[in-house]
Amino acid sequence: MVNAPRIPSDVPRPPAHVRRNRVLMIAGVVLLVALFVLALVTMNLPTWQRFVNGMQRNFWPLMRGLVRPETEVFGLAWRSMSETFFMAILGTALGALLAFPISFFAAGNLLGGTRWALPGKALLVAIRTFPELVLAIIFVAAAGPGPTAGIMAMGIHSIGYLGKVFSDVIEGIDQGPMEAIRAAGGNQLHTFLYSVVPQVLPEFASHVLYRFEINLRAATVLGMVGAGGIGLPLIQRLQFRRWDEVSMLLIVIVGFIIVVDAVSSRVRNRLV
Amino acid sequence: MPEASSLPRPPAAGRIKAALTVALFAALFVLAFRQTGFNFQALFSGTADFFRFFGRLVPDWSALPQIWPPLIQTIQIAYVATIVGSLLAMPIVFLASSNTSTDPVTLWIARTLLTVLRSIPDLLWAALFVAVLGLGALPGVVALVFFTMGVLAKLGSETVEAIDPGPLEALRAAGAGRNRTIVFAVVPQVAATMVSYILYVFEINVRASVVIGLVGAGGIGQLLLRYLNFFDYTGVAAIIVVIFAVVLLIDGFSVWARSKLI
Repeated sequence: MVNAPRIPSDVPRPPAHVRRNRVLMIAGVVLLVALFVLALVTMNLPTWQRFVNGMQRNFWPLMRGLVRPETEVFGLAWRSMSETFFMAILGTALGALLAFPISFFAAGNLLGGTRWALPGKALLVAIRTFPELVLAIIFVAAAGPGPTAGIMAMGIHSIGYLGKVFSDVIEGIDQGPMEAIRAAGGNQLHTFLYSVVPQVLPEFASHVLYRFEINLRAATVLGMVGAGGIGLPLIQRLQFRRWDEVSMLLIVIVGFIIVVDAVSSRVRNRLV
Repeated sequence: MPEASSLPRPPAAGRIKAALTVALFAALFVLAFRQTGFNFQALFSGTADFFRFFGRLVPDWSALPQIWPPLIQTIQIAYVATIVGSLLAMPIVFLASSNTSTDPVTLWIARTLLTVLRSIPDLLWAALFVAVLGLGALPGVVALVFFTMGVLAKLGSETVEAIDPGPLEALRAAGAGRNRTIVFAVVPQVAATMVSYILYVFEINVRASVVIGLVGAGGIGQLLLRYLNFFDYTGVAAIIVVIFAVVLLIDGFSVWARSKLI
């Protein structure tokens, strides 16, 4: 094709860097596909037959159950879901309470330099990475099964996220009010109480509400390891494949979360 | 108090509102403590046990050869689920955006579907598919596919709705159909952001695929659960350190790649 006559075209050839990017992109896609195929081959996924079998045996009963949920377990579902809801409230409150002081040690502008905030930031990353469910297992072993273990697991895990966003908010505050209070003769405590706190409070509240939405989802599964809430009745019915009862629990969980999300996001929009 | 103050009192409406808010929260907390039966004694004794537990977490590196295969499976679950979930999310993205959807009914159906998908947490998907498909990596992949679709389609449709409408109108005016409009007016505007979101979802999926093993959906979580059940805390510690390193590494790569994109 080297000697093929060039077809006259109105469109000019794309410039060199565009062509290079295009080659890079194609190479990237080829690499992604290769990795994908490699993963599928080496992952020893079960045969297609087992997938189809599982779907036939369990998926259709689940779907039938979703259309006709077992109304008898509604009372149980509602009670365990409200327990879950209150667990999420206390877990979030505990997390916010603990994250508040820690966040000031992860905010560079209050400590007089970014490097002084590094230990605090590292601690927060470490907490974030530690899986919540593992914390819940540890607390169930330490404090016994029940909502208290779940609340503590959520509280500790929430510090990682809340501490990070709190310190980000603090680092973004306007320095003006701080200087004004210092110029008027206020001490460290006055500066903190009257210039830092009023500036960060609405944003803190908004982040706490957002974390509450996340924690409500987390609280629905903590019961699977015995840490209280709707997870326990759900996993029991899943193990015995009582699909009609599972669907009732699922419907209550999904409905509850959708309503709470809607209310919470409306409040958040008004806060900030 | 008759003390003379130069500061005016805040207006009555504001004070009443503040007092009501405080009362509401107080009532909520009292109710929460009663409903959950929160045990303060357990809080303190539990915290003590918790720190004692961390004292015993001395990693035993001889467990490493056992850790690698499930760790690699964990990353594979996250990778495969991210790719399949992203591909399946793409059509929903455009159907759930008001400026590219076909008609109001489809828009409403797509948005409702996304709301339901996003209200189910990753572990619940995993437990559900373990019950449907049995133990192993397969239910983990399927669970994270659904989870990815919910997160990505929501983020994506918000991006699509925020694009510059100019190119869209230009192509429509030139007589292009819906698919061509999407390919030539929408995709070039959102491609970089979408790739960055996919990387972000991959990060989330790596974290999620670590824990879904605890309900039997394959990967390192299954091994972690076995060690926890046998009180093999040195093995648990080794796994935690390895997970920590891998998550940091993947997060670091993802943050770097995303900073290059946008």
